Amino acid sequence: MTPELWSLCVLAALIELDTTHAFQFTLSRGIIAGPIFALLTGDWVAGIQAGIFTELLFSDISPLGTILPPSATVCCAVTIALHALGIEMCFAFIWGVICATLFAQAERYMRKRRVRLLPLWEQRIVKRPDTINRVIFFELAASFVMNLVLITAFIWGAAKVMLWLIPHIPSRAFYACRFAYMAVPWIGLVSLIPEFRLKKR
Amino acid sequence: MTFAQHLRFFVRSFFLQTGWNYLKFQNLGLFFVMWPFLKHLYKKDTDAIPSVTERYLSSFNTQPVLAAFCFGALAREEEYIAQTKNLTEFNAEINNWLSIKRGLSITTASIGDRLFWGSLKPLTLLLALLIWLLVGIPFFGDQTVAQQPPLWYVCWGMLAPFVAFNAIALPVKWQGIRISYESDGNASFGLTKFDWNRTIYYAKIIGMFFTIGMIVLGLIFYLKGLNACDLQFITRSVIVLFFVCISFITRRLRIPNMYLYLAAVVIFNIVCYL
Repeated sequence: MTPELWSLCVLAALIELDTTHAFQFTLSRGIIAGPIFALLTGDWVAGIQAGIFTELLFSDISPLGTILPPSATVCCAVTIALHALGIEMCFAFIWGVICATLFAQAERYMRKRRVRLLPLWEQRIVKRPDTINRVIFFELAASFVMNLVLITAFIWGAAKVMLWLIPHIPSRAFYACRFAYMAVPWIGLVSLIPEFRLKKR
Repeated sequence: MTFAQHLRFFVRSFFLQTGWNYLKFQNLGLFFVMWPFLKHLYKKDTDAIPSVTERYLSSFNTQPVLAAFCFGALAREEEYIAQTKNLTEFNAEINNWLSIKRGLSITTASIGDRLFWGSLKPLTLLLALLIWLLVGIPFFGDQTVAQQPPLWYVCWGMLAPFVAFNAIALPVKWQGIRISYESDGNASFGLTKFDWNRTIYYAKIIGMFFTIGMIVLGLIFYLKGLNACDLQFITRSVIVLFFVCISFITRRLRIPNMYLYLAAVVIFNIVCYL
């Protein structure tokens, strides 16, 4: 892990907080997070591509109610980090999508675990309502640490596997993954049509 | 509501979803937003604070931008509760508070999800796509470029959706707190001041127009420079057509896009080895 990849992990963990835990300025969207990460690695086109493809691919899942979409920030971070290590975008993006889905599962698990802490928090808040500030700060810090650990682990693991695998991947698999990668904008754009469809009353 | 209180509501509302959990959803966030106001309101009646705290720690879930309307309405109703003089009045106001909390959170969630997540987010995505496509950043077809585009181009595409989204979301949040505080239940706590349905309707129409335009523009970029009789032209056209058709089908079957993409990776690999 180079210093720029470490800083990418920290930045991704911070930006990921914007998805749910704080602000919701939409900094964690693919089209914004992707280019921001690319500013660290220097390959802007890769950042924009990763951002656009991530956002288009996940555009059919909105965070409605308790639905937790795959993390666009994690997808962009993993894709750009792997690409910065010399791995082709078409391979890096597959890892990005897988890690984003795994991250959503981990986040879901954490939210379920948080339920166990809730009675304790509530008891303390009812006794001393000012405790809420500390609870919110603790939750933010815990989420940041969890994001950082998971994103670092994903990037480290995916990089290890890919760097070992790359010499063994035949050129046919490369073309196959590249074709699938080229299909992403079309899959995403078409899924926007039902998104904008006016529902009949 | 003083300006300082308004500002405190606004700043704290950015942490509404901190501590989100599957049991009571945004309850910790709601109390965090309301606490300075409640502290000020009950500074002479501190005995009431534990029961007030328990009320705010009950389950609450809505869309984070339009939640602003809930904060203002709940603050106004809390003032009525604090001013009650007997138990009958108190119980009546508590019932009002409960119905506001339940009813308004459902209404704002429905409007907010349709407007911000269902319309504005995809619309700003299309805006970014359009900007990057026009400045020559490739994402349709052959995604390789000889040199990096100027940083300014990257920033334009990134800032446009960010500014466009927040230019609507932040004023709605700021105004929502005050409007809902000043309005009453007859005006749906200020929600009827905006024609949400018409806004969503026009956003969807514009979105549909831009999506179809983007698909056409993408096709032009994707097939640019190829001869109509060329094998590459035919292959590319078939791939686009295949994915357009299959995307419609998977969408109808409610299969997420990412599974279609991962299936495409597997299928293309199988085809390459046949």
